[in-house]
Amino acid sequence: MTAKLRAPGWYRAGLFVLLGIAFSYALVGVVRTLMHYPDAWADGDAITTVALIATPLFFLVGLGCFDYWFYYASGRPTRAEDHSSHGASSWKDYFRVNTDHKVIGIQYICTSFFFMFLGGLIAMLMRAELAKPGMQFVDSSTFNGLFSVHAALLIFLFVIPVFAGIANYVLPLMIGAPDMAFPRLNALSFWMLPAAGVLLTASFFAPGGAFASGWTAYAPLSTDMPLGQVFFTVGVQFAGASSIATALNFLVTIITMRAPGMSFFRMPLLVWANFSTSLLVVIATPFIAASQFFVLLDRALGFQYFDAFVGSGKNGSVLMYQHVFWFYSHPAVYIMMLPGFGIVSEILSVKARKPIFGYRMMAFSLLAIVALGFTVWAHHMFVSGMQSWIRVPMMITTAIIAVPTGIKIFSWLATLWKGVLHLDTPMLFALGFLTTFTLGGISGVMLSMIPFDIYVSDTYFIVAHIHYVLFGGSLFTIFAGIYYWFPKMTGRMYDETLGKVHFWMTFVFFNVTFGPMHLLGLDGMPRRVADYAEQYATLNLFVTIASFALGLSMLVFLYNMVASWRGGPRAAANPWRSLTLEWQVSSPPPIFNFDAVPTVVGGPYEYGVPGAVHGIFQSPTEAKPTHAGSVATSPTRE
Amino acid sequence: MRRHPVALMVIVGLVASAIGIALALVIDWFPTDAAKQAEPIDTLYDVLMIVSVPVFVLVVIVTLFAVWQFRMRPGQEKMDGPPIHGNTRLEIVWTAVPAILLVSLCSYAYTVLTDIEEKEANTLVVNVVGQQFAWRYSYPQEGGRAIETTQLVLPKDRPILFKVRALDVIHDFWVPAFRVKIDAVPGIETEVRATPTKIGRFEVVCAELCGLGHAVMRSTARVVTPAAYDSWIAEQVRGGAAGGGGAAGGDDAAGGDDAAGGDASGGDAAALGRETFVQNCGSCHTLADAGTSGAAGPDLTTALRGQSEEQIREDIVDPDARIAEGFQAGVMPGNFSETLSAEQIDGLVTYLVSVSR
Amino acid sequence: MEAASATSSLHHAGEAEHHHGPPEAHRSSRVDPQMLGMLLFIISEIMVFGAFFTAYFFIRVVDGNPWPAEGTELPKAIAGVNTAILLSSSITLHWALEAIKRGNRSAFKAGMATTALLGATFLFIQINEYVHIGFAPYDSAQASVFYGLTGLHGAHVALGLLILIIVTTRAFRGHFSPQEHRGVEIPGIYWHFVDVMWVIVYSTVYLL
Ligand code: HEA
Ligand code: HEA
Ligand code: HEC
Ligand code: CUA
Ligand SMILES: [Cu+2]
Repeated sequence: MTAKLRAPGWYRAGLFVLLGIAFSYALVGVVRTLMHYPDAWADGDAITTVALIATPLFFLVGLGCFDYWFYYASGRPTRAEDHSSHGASSWKDYFRVNTDHKVIGIQYICTSFFFMFLGGLIAMLMRAELAKPGMQFVDSSTFNGLFSVHAALLIFLFVIPVFAGIANYVLPLMIGAPDMAFPRLNALSFWMLPAAGVLLTASFFAPGGAFASGWTAYAPLSTDMPLGQVFFTVGVQFAGASSIATALNFLVTIITMRAPGMSFFRMPLLVWANFSTSLLVVIATPFIAASQFFVLLDRALGFQYFDAFVGSGKNGSVLMYQHVFWFYSHPAVYIMMLPGFGIVSEILSVKARKPIFGYRMMAFSLLAIVALGFTVWAHHMFVSGMQSWIRVPMMITTAIIAVPTGIKIFSWLATLWKGVLHLDTPMLFALGFLTTFTLGGISGVMLSMIPFDIYVSDTYFIVAHIHYVLFGGSLFTIFAGIYYWFPKMTGRMYDETLGKVHFWMTFVFFNVTFGPMHLLGLDGMPRRVADYAEQYATLNLFVTIASFALGLSMLVFLYNMVASWRGGPRAAANPWRSLTLEWQVSSPPPIFNFDAVPTVVGGPYEYGVPGAVHGIFQSPTEAKPTHAGSVATSPTRE
Repeated sequence: MRRHPVALMVIVGLVASAIGIALALVIDWFPTDAAKQAEPIDTLYDVLMIVSVPVFVLVVIVTLFAVWQFRMRPGQEKMDGPPIHGNTRLEIVWTAVPAILLVSLCSYAYTVLTDIEEKEANTLVVNVVGQQFAWRYSYPQEGGRAIETTQLVLPKDRPILFKVRALDVIHDFWVPAFRVKIDAVPGIETEVRATPTKIGRFEVVCAELCGLGHAVMRSTARVVTPAAYDSWIAEQVRGGAAGGGGAAGGDDAAGGDDAAGGDASGGDAAALGRETFVQNCGSCHTLADAGTSGAAGPDLTTALRGQSEEQIREDIVDPDARIAEGFQAGVMPGNFSETLSAEQIDGLVTYLVSVSR
Repeated sequence: MEAASATSSLHHAGEAEHHHGPPEAHRSSRVDPQMLGMLLFIISEIMVFGAFFTAYFFIRVVDGNPWPAEGTELPKAIAGVNTAILLSSSITLHWALEAIKRGNRSAFKAGMATTALLGATFLFIQINEYVHIGFAPYDSAQASVFYGLTGLHGAHVALGLLILIIVTTRAFRGHFSPQEHRGVEIPGIYWHFVDVMWVIVYSTVYLL
């Protein structure tokens, strides 16, 4: 037993969690006694706050995320090339600190989908409450908690990490690298996620209920919320740290570990997309960390960043929070979209059997979006009462972002043109994405027009926009990607029929769920309300029913994934006849991806070009374009 | 052979766009418009739709067409499409056209913005204060003294400048019928302009999440004829002496005629109480006698049965002392003892006692 | 669930190799991965400070509040001395690095030790300053900003100090050599960053 408690793993993690709690209790007690506070040992709020920060760290230590570094730090012998924690031979290996990017990828994807279903169920509760005017199931504070947790989970624990997960699995394979640049950091970034997720979810059990100030957590509402708010404030810190670490890892991997011959303009667009996304993450994410630090300091230590009340004479600044928050959270919406763009580019090109149209413009438009993305944050603040002159420049930059995005959309359409379209599930989701995201994007452009935004801001029109871009945009690409790489990841084939059923149910019910919300918004229904006027009753009931059907469609997906993973037919190495490197190795790939580093001799999308090859597996010396390593070339239709 | 279907696609696209635009323009998606600001904003929406619908249709129609024409047919499993890598002219076109489109939209939106926010002569200033979870207003008068009230009465066709403040957290002052909204931010004073053009009563909504009672933080804007407005102000000034806000809108319960405050002649405590109730409490409490139908708080028609005068008074001045079961503490404002005059509170109590017997 | 289990790749069919190491990853860039990682991390760090400076900017410049808050003042002199201390620690660290590059172990150890010592002194003075400064973070937004920025920086010094101590212990345990000194160089960069940051904090918060 003691051996178990000393070795890294769940037993030690459990022990350390207890230690963490004890530590927090002691720390608070001692400090408060030293400062002569009354009942020093009985301040629940303070103890919980500290415990929320300390316990996850203790957990990570216990689980063994830091063991290697501790050895290194204390100067004890370490083997940098140690692979004992590499690969997975049984399901148990997915529940330990594992440094294999493929294992970590799967861990990421499964975890984030778990939280997706959780967040979705919460959405179902919300819709149930909103089915009729007046209060039925939950009281207003609970409802505020519901949509706050809903959004927080789906953004910070689903969309952002699931993209990181997919890229984690696919990206090193695509660039011909044996693993990520920093495998241990990679493992650590993953294990921070469950911690964050547990915090956000656990807030429901906090006295005073879950954090209820929306996912935007505007001060000063968030600074005088009950304890639940701290769960958000701290949880987001862990999620943020996790995504910064991953982004850093991606950037280093992409820059330093590309296979010979893989110049930047021979990289698949998914790699480009994650390159741009990671830039956004590394630069922007610190701002949300800071914004939540401010809230925490104001709450826990009585700082006065946001205390602007007349008469209090504290000179705090309320709008400062929003500027800092949106300077992260607008780029964040592209963090949640660009990887999707990458996935769609892969799928459309392979499934249309044509080179991606305007490859370079595709890459540059990504960078353009990254650059512009930092110049538009105040479009969330048109009615916030900030200096009014800021609005107009922000309107222009915001609208201009539609141009690079448009370049991508039109290039994708041109990629389809005259292709040989294989309309299987990944392709269907990619095509569905084209339409739904365009709608969401266009509503975004409408929102960027100040006078119109002044009217619809904080109405259901916004909620509609959110879901058209996040569900119709991000989530569709995620589904597409999951189906597309499912054979590679699991070595099994998913059920095509169920896949199509899933797509059609999702596509139809998605639109009937969120489409009408535009009308509700135009008609003046405010967002974030549990109770609403009679005039909106019919549409809301309709939306609610549709949303349940949408929920059920998710069950189809769930069943398909689980069943196929356990008993699906074995998948070939390259079922899609794709050129990119990840498909040139077995499904699932060998433990170290490649037995010999491949050499890249051409672009990744040369479909229809006779004898085209992307990567070959001889050593660089005898590397010359041959058919080897590619099964994708065949007569064109023209 | 391929010309024909493409032509078909174009035609279908044009028809679809036409239908889409028609729907957008013909159907009136907005609530009633009651301010000068509404018209330009609604027009902006129409323009945006005229631009957006074709763009959306374009994307959809091309996708559908590709699916229809280029989908893989039996026997093509191993085939590839033609290796087209790009087309510079096309790419320039679909960079330039949206860019031009968007810039012109922006310039148009800018003119609309200046239009709805332009300063005008003889603007009436109304101070708005948001607090969890109710709105209060004050009308600055000559000689410094301002009229403090909880009802928003506005003269028709007079430009109004709302100066908005918040006492606790961020709220958002929004009159959907006026189309305009602005956050009420602690520490700073924000401004929004509107010129009412229709006589009637229009809902005031709090549009920024502000806590428990966010959904019930409502109030009414009553637009009346300039004459009625002046007499109302006069009322207020006189009534102000006799007791702060309430002395008006006795007609509210009777619901209707907008010549404000005619019948309400302060005096009688119960009458004053009733008016005060309609103005301050009706948004949250149903009370048959007062004709209010709020749902945030208990239905006082029944809830007050058998409650002593003291209890009722306590319920008003210190709501969280006793929480009616099935309801939450912290929703009902705790500061009525400050925002209402002693007379009004007494009036309320007398009135509520009288109706709860 | 044998997702990542090792089967063989297309091209070396048959030979299922489980426990061979990965092929040496191809270096597609001259920059050293650890170095690049540290630089990117520093970019993030700069942004964190950037956010705290945004708070400073809004509360001092945009809202035009007096700085520092009425009735309070900042110990420019002591902080100035502290600045000197921290900067000199950068020099000693550089010296230590050069030493190990030349293979001069004793100079290396001495350099590391002094650097760590100077860092500790800085922290000590900083905390001492907090004790005697005469206002608390909850007195005003300006105070919050002051404690926020200096505190954030203090935290970074603490972290950097921890790393320095680790390097020092390893130095005394005989690690590092003229060939292998990345473990000194990269923490060094971080420490220099912390110093530069302090110069900015000092000049904006205390001097301006
Ligand atoms: C994946 C996430 C995502 C994405 C990609 C976007 C993309 C865009 N968003 Fe969105 N947005 C959100 C997520 C996202 N948004 C969220 C979550 C909120 C709410 C936050 C909250 O308050 O809770 C929000 C809120 C939001 C607001 C604030 C509304 C308010 O609160 O008052 C605005 C205002 O300008 C806006 C604008 C835009 C614009 C212009 C784009 C553009 O990038 C869209 C560009 C794409 C297209 C335009 C379509 C394709 C282009 C063409 C086919 C070319 C031709 C097109 C034209 C000529 C029009 N968004
Ligand atoms: C990726 C992001 C994402 C996703 C996928 C979703 C998915 C959904 N969202 Fe969410 N939503 C947001 C991001 C997202 N949302 C954000 C950012 C906000 C703003 C919050 C704020 O204002 O702060 C928001 C707000 C929001 C609101 C407005 C709340 C308010 O302002 O009052 C509503 C209301 O209908 C809503 C509904 C839904 C629904 C019905 C789904 C559905 O698509 C969910 C479908 C999935 C499932 C249902 C789960 C899987 C199914 C099962 C587990 C089977 C069992 C289920 C049953 C059939 C009972 N969302
Ligand atoms: C923002 C909403 C809101 C407003 C405005 C409001 N109330 Fe309430 N009121 C409530 C809620 C919620 C409760 C139930 C919780 C409680 O008892 O405090 C309540 C409770 C009461 C009760 C106690 C009922 C019982 O069952 O004992 C009385 C009496 C009352 N209100 C009177 C008033 C009066 C008089 C006014 C105006 C001066 C007023 N309320 C304004 C929300 C409101
Ligand atoms: Cu006040 Cu919402
Ligand atoms: Cu945005």
